[in-house]
Amino acid sequence: MLAVAGVTRVAKRFFTRMSWTMTFAVVALLVIGVFFVYSACYVSEESPVRLLYKKQMVWGFAGFLCYWALAVTDYRHLRKLSWTFYAASIVLLILVLFVGTTIYGAKRWLMFLGIGVQPSEIAKFAVVFVLARKLSRPGLNLAEPRALLEVAGIALVPLCLILLEPDFGTALVFVPMTLAMMYAAGMPARILGIIFLIGAVLLGVLMAAMFVPPALGVTREEHGDILKWIGLRTYHYDRLAVFFDADLDPLAKGWNKRQSEIAVGSGGMFGKGYLKGTQNILGFLPRSVAPTDFIFSVIAEEKGFMGSLTVLGLFSVLMVSGVRTALSAPDKMGRLLCVGFLSLLFCHVFVNIAMTVGLMPITGLPLPLLSYGGSFMMVTMASLGIVQSVRIHAKQPKVAFQQRGLWGPAVGG
Amino acid sequence: MNERGMRLRFICCGGVMFLALLCLCMRLVHLHILTDAHARETIVANRTFTAKLDVARGKICDRNGDASILAMDIVGRDICADPSALVSNSLIQAVAASLAKDLDLDADRIERKLSVPGSRYARIVMKVHPDLAAKVEARELKGVFFEKSNVRYYPHGDFLCHVLGFVNYNGDGSAGVEQKMDVFLRGCPGILESRKNALREELYTQRGRYIPSMEGANISLTIDQFVQCRVEDVLDEVVAEHNAKGAWAIVQRVRTGEIVAMASRPSYDLNMFTASDANARLNRAIGYTFEPGSTFKAIVFAAALEEGRVYPDTKIDCEYGMWMHAGRALRDYHPYGILSVADGLKKSSNILSAKLELMLGDRLFYSYMRAFGIGQRSGLDLPGEEAGILHPVRNWSKVSGSRMCIGQGVAVTAMQMLGVYSAIANDGVLMKPYVVAEVHAKDGTMLHMGKPEPLSRPVSSRNAALMRQLLARVTEKGGTGRRARVKGYTVAGKTGTAQKAIKGGYSSVNHIASFVGFLPAESPELSIIVVVDDPQPIHTGGRVAGPAFSKIAEYAVRRMDVPASNHFKLAGR
Repeated sequence: MLAVAGVTRVAKRFFTRMSWTMTFAVVALLVIGVFFVYSACYVSEESPVRLLYKKQMVWGFAGFLCYWALAVTDYRHLRKLSWTFYAASIVLLILVLFVGTTIYGAKRWLMFLGIGVQPSEIAKFAVVFVLARKLSRPGLNLAEPRALLEVAGIALVPLCLILLEPDFGTALVFVPMTLAMMYAAGMPARILGIIFLIGAVLLGVLMAAMFVPPALGVTREEHGDILKWIGLRTYHYDRLAVFFDADLDPLAKGWNKRQSEIAVGSGGMFGKGYLKGTQNILGFLPRSVAPTDFIFSVIAEEKGFMGSLTVLGLFSVLMVSGVRTALSAPDKMGRLLCVGFLSLLFCHVFVNIAMTVGLMPITGLPLPLLSYGGSFMMVTMASLGIVQSVRIHAKQPKVAFQQRGLWGPAVGG
Repeated sequence: MNERGMRLRFICCGGVMFLALLCLCMRLVHLHILTDAHARETIVANRTFTAKLDVARGKICDRNGDASILAMDIVGRDICADPSALVSNSLIQAVAASLAKDLDLDADRIERKLSVPGSRYARIVMKVHPDLAAKVEARELKGVFFEKSNVRYYPHGDFLCHVLGFVNYNGDGSAGVEQKMDVFLRGCPGILESRKNALREELYTQRGRYIPSMEGANISLTIDQFVQCRVEDVLDEVVAEHNAKGAWAIVQRVRTGEIVAMASRPSYDLNMFTASDANARLNRAIGYTFEPGSTFKAIVFAAALEEGRVYPDTKIDCEYGMWMHAGRALRDYHPYGILSVADGLKKSSNILSAKLELMLGDRLFYSYMRAFGIGQRSGLDLPGEEAGILHPVRNWSKVSGSRMCIGQGVAVTAMQMLGVYSAIANDGVLMKPYVVAEVHAKDGTMLHMGKPEPLSRPVSSRNAALMRQLLARVTEKGGTGRRARVKGYTVAGKTGTAQKAIKGGYSSVNHIASFVGFLPAESPELSIIVVVDDPQPIHTGGRVAGPAFSKIAEYAVRRMDVPASNHFKLAGR
């Protein structure tokens, strides 16, 4: 009886308090994702590629279960697990450097029981968790250099390991995510300013390393050596150079950017119709990336401006609902978790779409919920599940809230 | 930090995100909505392509049809290379050297073509024969690839080269029948409008327009390759034997005007036309004008007979080899006293001929020359025919007529000269010569047919028959053309030995020797002209061109099934 009553209570709380808007947006995006993964692959000559949409359905379903499960679970119970999780992800990141499968010259994948796992995706999740725990510790003063270094260290260890794979795009996502969490945790604005300044200087150095030597007439090989010194590869330079001048090499390095822009541009207002995107069908959007990194181009081409806007709108709904959850979070940890996961999500959405429309250089970041990919799907759904969990477990009695004494009066969600 | 500050920070973050999304939205508006239609059309246009489908040129055969192919298309290769691959592997020199050796080309030129680091495509040689291409292919040179292309191939090299002509690298017929009949031969390339994917493969399902190519029509010539072969052999012999600069000959069927053989020396290999010079490419039989000399006398004799001014037995004083007329001396090669008109032709007397012209008058003589086709193109269906030089009467001096009638001061082509004799042989009717017998489309439809076409009738059949008898005497004992005889056949004809015109007069050492005639004289079937340019040291038409005529005629009559002369004698009895 007691167990039944408990389940009923949990279920009741779950259904009344969860953000249905967010769930709706998630489901909508998942469905759109399956449809357009199908569209991106149905002309492929390889049957495993043609059937990717089925795998995407399975992953979406598994992800949704994960989302559900984590939403029901009180996120505070997971707090104790965070460091273990973090340590495990670091071990995996080190492991992948040695036994990882090499694809396109980078070791990013661990083959595990026939399923490819990207440790970097797991690391994203773990870092948010650990940071949220660390930053929510009472008495942490982010104006102190030591605390700052500790926090930064948590993010920098996996970041550097990911850079070694190398996976520049994924590593880069850690930076805004960490900054957003620190900012939300109350880091003084001037320190943020200083960090931005340092970032700007670093960026300047990077740019200089990339563009000054070629301008001085250094050979490609020597330039490659110089770039290696600061942890970059020549293809990074190529991508950037192409980004600034797409006509530099329209048939090879500039191909993806150009074809993606053509796909979006040729979509027009209402698109060419589902399954009628010629950029994709005729292979101008490379088949290998159409269902993953360039899924947005496929949608934009087939559904036009309306389709693009719908996708952006759904992500906005997701974000707004997430931010509301963050504001109504019962404690600092919950709030920081929301901030971390949402900033992660937003970074991916922004960088991916910006790259497909030619606003940013090509980085291999997938589009959450839409791109094909197992690990990333699971991580995204898990993180959204936790945001949902924060929401569900928000409306605590005022007393309990004030006892914690962290945030002052509770805020209605 | 208090709640207000926190909210402020959230609003700040939200603001940043909103701005970022706004950026994306603006870019999306820019791409989706503001991309102008023109750009979209350009993109679509880049994906669609219109290809001209290569088409094989028609075959050229001789009068015996398909059994004897003289020109055909075979699938050869264009040899191409990827310069950027060669540059980055620094293989240029090795590849250029290898290609130069195989293809007999200049290695430096190939190197220059390949030294374009950014380029992915360079065409090294076009239209290489498949055997040679296979040899190159076997070397497996890195960065070298081959593209199919139709290659014009002439199985017999220089055989019949001046009549056939060649096709340039653009596929245009550029000489001979190839040029004249280009519209029929080249066919109609098909058109394919379709779309291609990123791998540049055609998308069959999205074909917009497909017009299959229409293959070129096949041509049968009036040439008989066996007679032609004999003619070419004889000309080669003559050139070698008499150290001549050139020689040319035509064999024509007198009844129809069909050209059975036409050859010119020097010749060139059609498969390597680029290696030849204009001199070798000149079809002298129609493109070289010369002062004909005595062979031209037939016109004035025929005219005088036709006008009734003389009869064959009319006696005329030949002034013992030297006659002053209009203040200028005219000489005979051998001096004669009184000769009949018939003997005058047999002995080729200049003075007698000049006196005949005087009897006719310039105007009448001129009109006969025109009627025999002098001074105008014969209308042969080959390009590059010359009209010769025949000045109008008003430009003539007092002695012009008396010089023209013996073939001086008038320039003709061998084709025109042969026309005169063919007309006499053909009962006085001048036929238009032609080399293209039939043009058949691939499906058998007749597109063009060469038909006998009379041009004029300078003399009546009675006088033509008379002329045939007179001309037949030239090859009899005591005539100039004894060496042109053919066993079993009566040959009618005339020798010609013309001094070549040089600046300010005539050369005493350079001659053009010719023999023109027809056989059998009783009922002519074939007319033949042989012209030899600058034979040394023997230079008379009778001794240089006569034997050649005989050799050609001897073979031609048998090949063309011409009945022997005694057949007529038996029939007449």
